[in-house]
Amino acid sequence: MSISVKLDRVLLDRGMSLTELSERVGVTIANLSILKTGKAKAIRFSTLEAICKELDCQPGDILFFDDDGAPSPD
Amino acid sequence: MKAIGKGSLASILAMGLHFTRVIMWIAFVGVSIALIILPFFSTLASLFGESLDVSKEDFFNVALTFTTIAVMLFVVNRLLEILKTLRFGSPFVKENADRFRGLGYALLIGEGAKVAFGLLSLIFDVDVAGNSSFIAWIAIIAVFVLAEVFREGARMKEEQDLTV
Repeated sequence: MSISVKLDRVLLDRGMSLTELSERVGVTIANLSILKTGKAKAIRFSTLEAICKELDCQPGDILFFDDDGAPSPD
Repeated sequence: MKAIGKGSLASILAMGLHFTRVIMWIAFVGVSIALIILPFFSTLASLFGESLDVSKEDFFNVALTFTTIAVMLFVVNRLLEILKTLRFGSPFVKENADRFRGLGYALLIGEGAKVAFGLLSLIFDVDVAGNSSFIAWIAIIAVFVLAEVFREGARMKEEQDLTV
């Protein structure tokens, strides 16, 4: 997929662990791991809003578009 | 009625299918033996001093019964596998779409065999007890449609599971 997630980088900048973020946004660690490892197929606006609120960042700080020409798995 | 668990329709169906499978296996073994010994039946009968002739009609009928039972056994097994995934709470998986497609092909073979034996009965002028029905062909199409619905359902389920 051309969309990559850089959640780990933002977490590192904020000095926050995935467990802490999970508790703050109310999303399970398993789901956050799916997002962090780039396995997620979609992200809800509500989840993105909660993450951005807790990490004090913009969606663009977490999500990146990289058109490497690779076809989407779907 | 509950979808899964004790007393659910799935568990009742599974029980019925398990019972049917046992009957089918017994019938399958019996018909397989009959099919193997049928060409030598006259020789075997003469060894015991009996004179019994096996006609083409007998052979065609046993062969058609063998095909029908084999198809039914395959269908029952696939249905049990599908019900198993339902009992575990995850019926919308790609494997079930493949199973439904397999069911469709098996039923297609079963009905195709009826048509083929019907043609053979005309060629050899014998009476074979196999009539293909229009409703069976519609049912086969329905199974293929269901397979595609399951494939899409599995895709949607995967997408939902991977939505954060």
